[in-house]
Amino acid sequence: MVKYYPLIPVLAIYLVMFLIGFYIEGMWQMVALLAFYCALGQSWNIFMGMTGYVDFGYVTFIALGTYGMALGISYTHQYEWLGIGIIFIGLILALFLASLSALLESFIALRLRGAYFAIACIGINEGLKHFIEGARIWGGSDGIIFYGALIQAFGRETSNHLTAFWADFAVFIIAALAAILNIYYMRSKIGYALTAVREDEDAAKVMGINTTKYKTIAFLTSGLLGAAVGAFAWGVKLAHVYPGDVFVIHYTIECIVVVLLGGAGTLLGPVVGGLVYGLSKYWLAVVLPGFQLLVFAPIIIIIIVVFPEGIIGFVKQKTKSTPLARYII
Amino acid sequence: MSSMLRVENLESGYGSMQVLWKPSLEVKKGSITSLLGPNGAGKTTLLQTILGSVEPSGGSIIYEERDVTHSPTHEKVDMGIVLAPEGKHLFVGMSVHENLIMGAFPKEAKKYIDASLSMVYSLFPILKERTKQIAGLLSGGEQQMLTIARALMSKPKLIMLDEPSQGLAPLLVQLVFETIEKMKVEIGLTILLVEQNVEASLKAADYVYIMHEGRIKAEGGPEEIGASRDIREAYLGI
Repeated sequence: MVKYYPLIPVLAIYLVMFLIGFYIEGMWQMVALLAFYCALGQSWNIFMGMTGYVDFGYVTFIALGTYGMALGISYTHQYEWLGIGIIFIGLILALFLASLSALLESFIALRLRGAYFAIACIGINEGLKHFIEGARIWGGSDGIIFYGALIQAFGRETSNHLTAFWADFAVFIIAALAAILNIYYMRSKIGYALTAVREDEDAAKVMGINTTKYKTIAFLTSGLLGAAVGAFAWGVKLAHVYPGDVFVIHYTIECIVVVLLGGAGTLLGPVVGGLVYGLSKYWLAVVLPGFQLLVFAPIIIIIIVVFPEGIIGFVKQKTKSTPLARYII
Repeated sequence: MSSMLRVENLESGYGSMQVLWKPSLEVKKGSITSLLGPNGAGKTTLLQTILGSVEPSGGSIIYEERDVTHSPTHEKVDMGIVLAPEGKHLFVGMSVHENLIMGAFPKEAKKYIDASLSMVYSLFPILKERTKQIAGLLSGGEQQMLTIARALMSKPKLIMLDEPSQGLAPLLVQLVFETIEKMKVEIGLTILLVEQNVEASLKAADYVYIMHEGRIKAEGGPEEIGASRDIREAYLGI
């Protein structure tokens, strides 16, 4: 069990966040935003943090997750007997679409490396967006608006409760699940294989590691978690989806920033990164509306120069060979 | 001695550039087979094609009487073929110990991890002293030994060494070659050795192939090759 100790601080942070949001008036929105960044950071970390591959098209999974939920709810809401089941149908569709895309992408893109991989992923993301808009599937550029469907299925009060509370609650659950998967992978054969890939992929191959297999496992896991985040944080919460809103590379970049801030390939990193990024973004938007990116960019540059291994990478070095070390990875 | 590895008319290359033009060679069980040749002869490509990290476009690779021409790399490592690559390719951010553990990735090798560790530490005592050190901070010679040691961790039957003495001081070169002989005699490994160091290779080898421009140009026992003036002048530059 000792090897799972680092989960304690992570889950404790999530619990404290949840309690703050739940009991302190007016904090829920902010806490939900933070949970969103933490969950995305953790999900993205499983692939990028462990392999060193930078997936610029990661938002594709979040977007497809949103679409899955939107399709699930808008096609099944009239079947009353399904009840809350339509949310699960939405989630399953979200995961299905994401795995299709992950397998397709891993078939094409995981054979590429470095910048070529990053660009191929952007290409797939943009291609999907234009395909949905151009071919007019899933509502084309008009998107899918399914708040009406939610009300029809659950009534107004329950729907409000779903979008305002349970959607965010689900994000917390996904964040915790992502943390558990993160550490499970790190501590298993998969983690060894992925670390070898990150350090030297040629050497990993020569040593008999089936690199494609392990990269695909991590990519798929990371994509499915991203899709689940999308399904709830964007799907259920907003109850609408437009292609131009969801297939946006900007969100991928936020994931990258969160993970690099906190420390790539660490367990606590994406959580701390998500908190620091989410809080500063929230705060800057209040204090300096409109200028937040202008202020934020240099802050990020400074942090990355001062802590090249991320905040947790830095803390890890400082706590090396102290009793704290076993809680921090 | 029976045959461990047989390569027949192998063809491969990178994209449209063909590098191997049907070389054939045989590695006998329990022997040191040396592959000599100038830069650009295709020696490294031959090793990588045998292991499968470069896909062969023709010919065949027979390992222990099994056709493994198109088997993926990880399966070949499971079967007991391993490569200590040129230019080291260590995990420079990890410690010596971690590098060795990584070497025991195949399932079979994992079972024998403790035995393998004590075996490589007795073969390379210097690594035992450096076990906690970060691999990137080792000296060139130590890194080379770690590369070989890591390859040994996968419980191989056939180890392919790509220029193990490259860039080492003469004393270390001697040490590396002594270790290679030990691997053959004490551990009973079969070794396919690619080298530029002609003198040392001829001394260690049981059989020698000369490669040039992607083809095998000559083969024979080390005395025979070493004595042939034509071969020495044409391909070995000595």
